[in-house]
Amino acid sequence: MHTDALLHLNLNRRGGISRRNFLQAASLSVAGSTLLSQFQLNAEELKKEGRSCILLWLAGAPSQMETWDPKPGTPNGGETKKISTQTPGVEIAHYWPKIASVMNDVALIRSMTGKEAAHERGTYHLHTGHRMLGIERFPHFGSVVAREIGDPQSDIPNFVSIGQTLSSGFLGVQVAPFIIDRPGQLPANVFNSTPESRQQRRLALLSQQEKDFTEAGAQALVKENIKLYEKANLMMKSPKLKAFQFDDEPTNMQEAYGKSQTGQGLLVARRLVEAGVPFVEVRTGGWDMHNNVFKGMERRAPDVDQGLSQLLIDLKQRGLLEKTLVLCMGEFGRTPKINARPPIPGRDHWVKNFNLLMAGAGIKGGQAIGKTDENGQEIVDSPVQVDDLFRSMCKAMQIDADMELHTPIGRPVKLVESGEVIKGLFG
Amino acid sequence: MNSIPLSILRDSQSEAGFFMLKHGQSNYSVSSQLIIWVTLICLILTTTLEAAPKKKKKAPPLNLPPLKTQEQKMQLLGYIRQTMPTRKIGSRISFSSADLDKALEQELGPATKSFAKIIDDETFIRRVYLDLTGELPSPNRISSFTSSQNRKKRSILIDELLETEAYARKWARYWTSVIFYDSEANKNRISPKALEDWLTEQFQKGAPWDYITVMLISATPQRNKKVRNDFGQKYGPNNFVLACENKSTELASQTARIFMGISIKCAECHDHPFDNWKREQFHELAAFFHPYTYKMPDKDDPTVKTTVKPRFLLGEKPYETMKSDARRVSIAAYLAYNPKNYWFARAYVNRIWSEVIGDGFYDVDSLGPDSDVMHKPVVNRIAANFRYKDFDPKWVFRLIMNSKVYQREMRTISSSSELFTAIRPSRLRPDVVAASVKNLTGEDKKLRKEIMEVFDMNPSLPQGALEGSIQQALLLMNNTTLQSKLSASDLKKKLVSISADEEMVQELYLNVLARHATDQEIERSVNFLKESKQRPEAIDDLIWVLINSTEFRTKR
Repeated sequence: MHTDALLHLNLNRRGGISRRNFLQAASLSVAGSTLLSQFQLNAEELKKEGRSCILLWLAGAPSQMETWDPKPGTPNGGETKKISTQTPGVEIAHYWPKIASVMNDVALIRSMTGKEAAHERGTYHLHTGHRMLGIERFPHFGSVVAREIGDPQSDIPNFVSIGQTLSSGFLGVQVAPFIIDRPGQLPANVFNSTPESRQQRRLALLSQQEKDFTEAGAQALVKENIKLYEKANLMMKSPKLKAFQFDDEPTNMQEAYGKSQTGQGLLVARRLVEAGVPFVEVRTGGWDMHNNVFKGMERRAPDVDQGLSQLLIDLKQRGLLEKTLVLCMGEFGRTPKINARPPIPGRDHWVKNFNLLMAGAGIKGGQAIGKTDENGQEIVDSPVQVDDLFRSMCKAMQIDADMELHTPIGRPVKLVESGEVIKGLFG
Repeated sequence: MNSIPLSILRDSQSEAGFFMLKHGQSNYSVSSQLIIWVTLICLILTTTLEAAPKKKKKAPPLNLPPLKTQEQKMQLLGYIRQTMPTRKIGSRISFSSADLDKALEQELGPATKSFAKIIDDETFIRRVYLDLTGELPSPNRISSFTSSQNRKKRSILIDELLETEAYARKWARYWTSVIFYDSEANKNRISPKALEDWLTEQFQKGAPWDYITVMLISATPQRNKKVRNDFGQKYGPNNFVLACENKSTELASQTARIFMGISIKCAECHDHPFDNWKREQFHELAAFFHPYTYKMPDKDDPTVKTTVKPRFLLGEKPYETMKSDARRVSIAAYLAYNPKNYWFARAYVNRIWSEVIGDGFYDVDSLGPDSDVMHKPVVNRIAANFRYKDFDPKWVFRLIMNSKVYQREMRTISSSSELFTAIRPSRLRPDVVAASVKNLTGEDKKLRKEIMEVFDMNPSLPQGALEGSIQQALLLMNNTTLQSKLSASDLKKKLVSISADEEMVQELYLNVLARHATDQEIERSVNFLKESKQRPEAIDDLIWVLINSTEFRTKR
């Protein structure tokens, strides 16, 4: 019986310490080091247990010509120059010098091709692997990961998003993204000053109250609420909460990621992954550059360049990169032709070819997969469909891409309907 | 139906008052004005009412009166409204709540066997208060209602609540959320509050839905460069257009979504995979909202653009030389006053039904093909009658709430065959949760803001697709302001002052959940009190439990 779960909340079953102990521990440096070792222990466990994924989402759809597939000197190239990278032969746009310096760990896909050129639909397609067609709402890939890899008893959510994102769709609240707006802060209202025994009495009484409401006909809502309260109560006591903050990170580490929202978000993402969260999304907006694409890129790129390159360096140093998939992408690409939009031209929506960045989790770095023609208008080598991308993501996460999901009406749907793993992506 | 019967115009001359917004306008005589209007109406509505407009001769020059101000636009729309052939029918036809129940029973067939029981008075008053006012009834109100012997008391209560400011405010908030929920407009250029206030005023004075809609659609906000950040947002009706950032494509898809319940947004880029909507149709609709010549970008090369002429979804074309202001007026007319556009009336009906029953006949804003509509004859009948009733929003509430469909007990509906055999328990909207909390704690702006954010929900998603969050649980369990305010609240003081346990528990349930406690609940609570060392602390605990119960944030 689900209602019983509340009655028997065992808040310490994962070795968590009570909030009061936690606070005492945090105030004593000696005990503080226990916390630290607990983190390291989790990192150890993680290496054994499973993989994680950090998705850096560039909302608005970044231009491929200004990221990983520049075409300087052609009519479509615009003001963007190309620079060489750590990997001989792989050249990228000049806005990304720091990414260039870690290219040996990075695989670029230059031949992505999609179907949706509107933001909402493209976002949905690239987050769920399904197009927005019927009324069914497919889960965010993060929710699938949370379900397949995450520990169902985990005391912090198995899927955290820094910034609004899609929901878990028909997979339900159990694997819904826990959304925080600003990185570096504890989630609101996690502290409770009620003594443990009193809290237990309250919860016990609440569970009976809920049972009555179930019988009155609201079982679905009650069931959901019980899950949420159980998770909330675990979270309140969790020593892992510290992963949401980064004040205990050395200053040079904070600076290496950058003080930007994106940099801080990625630092928190790394800490969450270290604490055992299998999926973290970090969002950054402003990539819908219909106007002024070159200046816009100069403004937006540096934060991502710094944060993302540091994330790769940091994960590698901690031995986490081989188990952590890092993805950086947006919902589609932008027109190779520069539009004539006043006052300063930019690029419009384009879905025929776009690009993205992948690293870690067995992906072979130092390569660029796929090729577009010299004007960037056609894919001339190895086109990659969204399904192919999702198959590859599944492979990296060691999830069965052919697994069946059941929609609310019981219709079985494959996690990824077709496609194949991108050739040459894995070493 | 090819021309407008003049008699109708004359008949309704006196009724046009509603639309003659400003008094100081009628400087010239009504008769000469009428002639202009008649010409106009014919010009605007001919294509509307003709099945297939034949090739016309060179059209006479269009002598439009000025349509710059909202008043001028509404005056014209008011006259067009009077010509609706359905107005005549409306006076002869009635459709009662009993008719609705009968129609639905026929439709449901064998499913009527699983009809839930009719609710008791206490459940009814809570439900109807939440639906119509977004607030809980006070304990006094509950007792006077349940003890009343009047056999018509339920229907009287519905009528009474429909006249309150709270009713107008609640639904104004709902529609404001519908319009702004997905808006990406710059916050400095919009004013959801101004829209909410304007809608409140409209709902309160009983403005018809078509009037509200055409006011929103035909608005053309002007920027006042002399004042910083003045985009006309302070004038409530401007805010639909501002929410769409005055972009033609956004206005097209939002108009179809909100006022017709159909999803055509994806047709912006490609032909709709399941529907009849073609990409070109989307852009023709967008062209309607464009101030000048609209150009549709090529699918593959956005630098290549083709000019698209405005055309409404049912094929209606505006008069060619019309200026953008006049085009806005004509699209509003096509939307609301073409009786063939059954989507318009049905979209409103389905939204209200969905909100109060818990399930819609279809997802409120993403209708694909018409075959996706469940129990179509029923919703179509309500929609047709809504038109006959001059789009009176309150009529829809009266119809539904006086029916048995609305007055059944709740049940978790899990398959479409069970639809409408019971009420689906629904999550309360953020403003309603905030009001329930305020009812106990008193006003606290910061707390209200936090609740509004944490409990926010997409008003266009079906109840079954909504989800709660851990943050909601954390807020209700732990928020320090909430906890301390509850502990110092009037309710708490009152409860502490009642020494009889059972009486205290009843008072608690009546104030927090707006119902009496069951025997089981009394027993449980009294035991809890007995096992507690400190009575005031135990009372805090009991309040805490009810605040955190699913029922507190659910309409049952």
